[in-house]
Amino acid sequence: MLDQAWLIPALPLGGAAVNLFFGRRLGKTAGWVASATVGLAFAIGVAVLLDLLSLPAEQREHVVELFPWIEAGGLSLRVSFLVDPLSLTMVLVVTGVGALIHVYGVGYMEGDPRFERFFAYLNLFVFFMLALVLANDYLLLYLGWEGVGLCSYLLIGFWYERPSAASAAKKAFVTTRIGDAAMMLGIVLIFVHFGSLDFANVLVEGVDPTSVVGTVPSEAAFTAISLLLLAGAVGKSAQIPLHVWLPDAMEGPTPVSALIHAATMVTAGVYLVVRSHVLFEQSGVALTVVLVIGLVSAIYAALASIGQFDIKRALAYSTMSQIGFMFFAAGMRFYAGAMLLLVCHAFYKALLFLSAGNVLHGLHDETDLRRMGGLRGEMPVTAALFAIGALALAGIPPLAGFFAKDHIVNFAAEGGRVAAWVVASIGAFLSALYIARPLFLAFFGTKRNDARAHEARWAMNAPLVVLAAGAVLGGLVLGLQAEGGLLERFLDPVTGVAGHGHLGLSETVLVGISIVLAVLAVLAAWYVWGSERVNWEAFPERQPELAAWLANAFYVNALYAWLVRTAGMGVGRAFRTVDDRVVDGAVNEVAEEIGQASRLASALQSGYVRSYALAFLLGAAALLLYLGLRF
Amino acid sequence: MPLDNVVFWVFAPVSVASAIAMLLQRNAVHAALFLIVNFFTISVFYLVLGASFLFAVQIIVYAGAIMVLFLFVLMLLGVDRDEPLIERLKGQRPMAVLLGAGIFLELFFAIRAGIGFATKAPAGFDETVNRGGNAAALARVLFRDYFFPFEVTSILLIIAAVAVMVLASRQAPAITRAEQATAAAAAEAREPEPAP
Amino acid sequence: MRTPISYFLVLSALLFSIGTVGVLVRRNALVIFMSVELQLNAVNLALVAFSRMHENLDGQVLAFFSMVVAAAEVVVGLAIILNVYRRRQSASVDDASVLRG
Repeated sequence: MLDQAWLIPALPLGGAAVNLFFGRRLGKTAGWVASATVGLAFAIGVAVLLDLLSLPAEQREHVVELFPWIEAGGLSLRVSFLVDPLSLTMVLVVTGVGALIHVYGVGYMEGDPRFERFFAYLNLFVFFMLALVLANDYLLLYLGWEGVGLCSYLLIGFWYERPSAASAAKKAFVTTRIGDAAMMLGIVLIFVHFGSLDFANVLVEGVDPTSVVGTVPSEAAFTAISLLLLAGAVGKSAQIPLHVWLPDAMEGPTPVSALIHAATMVTAGVYLVVRSHVLFEQSGVALTVVLVIGLVSAIYAALASIGQFDIKRALAYSTMSQIGFMFFAAGMRFYAGAMLLLVCHAFYKALLFLSAGNVLHGLHDETDLRRMGGLRGEMPVTAALFAIGALALAGIPPLAGFFAKDHIVNFAAEGGRVAAWVVASIGAFLSALYIARPLFLAFFGTKRNDARAHEARWAMNAPLVVLAAGAVLGGLVLGLQAEGGLLERFLDPVTGVAGHGHLGLSETVLVGISIVLAVLAVLAAWYVWGSERVNWEAFPERQPELAAWLANAFYVNALYAWLVRTAGMGVGRAFRTVDDRVVDGAVNEVAEEIGQASRLASALQSGYVRSYALAFLLGAAALLLYLGLRF
Repeated sequence: MPLDNVVFWVFAPVSVASAIAMLLQRNAVHAALFLIVNFFTISVFYLVLGASFLFAVQIIVYAGAIMVLFLFVLMLLGVDRDEPLIERLKGQRPMAVLLGAGIFLELFFAIRAGIGFATKAPAGFDETVNRGGNAAALARVLFRDYFFPFEVTSILLIIAAVAVMVLASRQAPAITRAEQATAAAAAEAREPEPAP
Repeated sequence: MRTPISYFLVLSALLFSIGTVGVLVRRNALVIFMSVELQLNAVNLALVAFSRMHENLDGQVLAFFSMVVAAAEVVVGLAIILNVYRRRQSASVDDASVLRG
């Protein structure tokens, strides 16, 4: 099955084409077609995995070459897919979670006038994402990168009649574009220094004296390349400073938020860093930058999430925070840890988003947490599912998040990074806090909404149950051991063995600390938001400034808007002056000069024949003089 | 002193003086008369230079026909009013004098460089070129070597005559009835018929 | 003939210059025309002098043709001046200055 791995991206592409051209005629079946393609892709992915496992660990790397793509000068590329543990992990996550979300979407989007278009876009997105993770070279990766950006734009702005949705889609595209432009520069630099874009040529361990170009790139080159690629990753993964698009992206339909902005596209940045870790390690500072960006984003997003009243925006900031943890792990060279968190996060974040989708569906598109409450009576299944997702994220054992996050935080301690460990632990505490908050606000306490919420149909809840199973069991299965868990061993050939340290406190103590923090946070959340003993509704009046800072996510949007406006207006004004004075001025000056000249010339046209006679006789005399002197 | 020298030095000043006088006369008829004097002197020079036919033609055509024509027009139109003295165009007079002087100097130096002031005419002109008299010699050259230009100039004269007839004719009288009616109406407006 | 030919040529040049000044200075159209005739005559004189010098009748023939053409030119020119005078009641060249810019 390894050689048929190209079917995995081809199937969703076919599904997209079918839905684009024949979707109208298919009607509701369009949704099932789309789900089937992704499901089938998942099945093929599993078959490929089995084939791969039959190979010994060092040989688990298979390239499927398709057709020649670019032959230009020194660049010669074929479209080729790389099947190795890392890409396969991503494939299974994307297709598995993707298929479940497609099924959910059939129920959620029922009755929408552009139903078939939705599924065409979703399938197209899955295709691009698969191209991204299966690419064997940086250019195909970039193609997928741009493609998912495009589909994200199309899907965020799916209900484009809403101006807020259209502008959110634009914002997402433009913000990620900034990162993408930098990434393109990085790819160009890779070609300049390595003479090739294939992973096989570029991502060689250590210094290779026989590299294609003949010389070894300098550390500065590695730093430049890594930072540029990181810029692209920061944009796609909504880390600081290119994060401003993610909360606004919640304008899109909830399945979109679940698939793209929780489980897959935003994790593309993490994938890029892990895949290119060889380059990052050759630079002295790149990984430190990754680490810092990850931690800062994690803390920032956690605080911002606490201040949000829109349930989806709270979840969006949560995603940003969790991805921050993944970057943090990668920055410590704990790539397997980052990937474990990526997989577990896909399960419980998709679960959380889709449960929130149930709430929206049931309350007729109400998203404000202040107008929810006590929903567990009317939507018990959804409440249970959301609770499972929330507790998983909070890191309550034995749910998935505990293993994933715990490994990362403990890695910091064991590696001697005490300051990082403290900050990460604070981040873990805040994570539990911010995710328990919507759980209690929406499903517990008194009902603040008059409408009668109806539970979602079993067709919509069925995929959620599967996701819940993943959220519960995922950590146990994949990452039970701190060192050398299943996933970690699987990924070893690609990521290298992570150097787990043994410094500081013992593992038991560290685990105990993180459990205590998680439980404390959930209890605190219960006390503030669920128990009705604290008047949290009055908080914005009592502390208006603090509440405003949290709600507006520390006014970063306002800052960017001000910057762009000032800089943009400044540049605009400068260009306007140049245009008025220099360009117009030159033209007007020329016209003026010509006018002057012609006024002078017209003075010659006095109308008097005798002046004319004088003039040409002068000319004749001059000519005579010239001729006389010549001969 | 040789005869031609005397003739030259008598008539040359007259020629120049009459030219300048023509220039300075405010009355146009006086200027024309001075020009006639100039033409006479020029014809004498022709004679000295051995062109006896041109001597005659100059007097007959230039002084006799062309200048008479000038005088006819002058007196017919009554444009012999004295020209005002003030010059409207600034700098025209000084520039004109300067230009004239400049042209004269250029030509002077050209002549000096070209032939020099010493060369005299070769002697045997009457025997060699003017064989049989100037008129016969000229006729030989004209009607043999320059016959075609001769015919062309005769056509030119005819054209000139026709052109003048067209240019100088007065308005044709009203021929068509419409034109007659318009002309009558215009005359009515000007002089209404006396009441009976 | 004992007079150097250059004397005639200098005289011709002098008359020509005087004619030029006349063209530029006088305002009466007819007087300007007369100055042009003076210039033509000066040139004829030079032609005949050269003819004498080169022992050739070509100069005289050219002078002859020049006279014929001058006659035709005078006739047409006077007719034009006549027309202009009929329209404007003035023969001053300065009055025909409508083509100004």
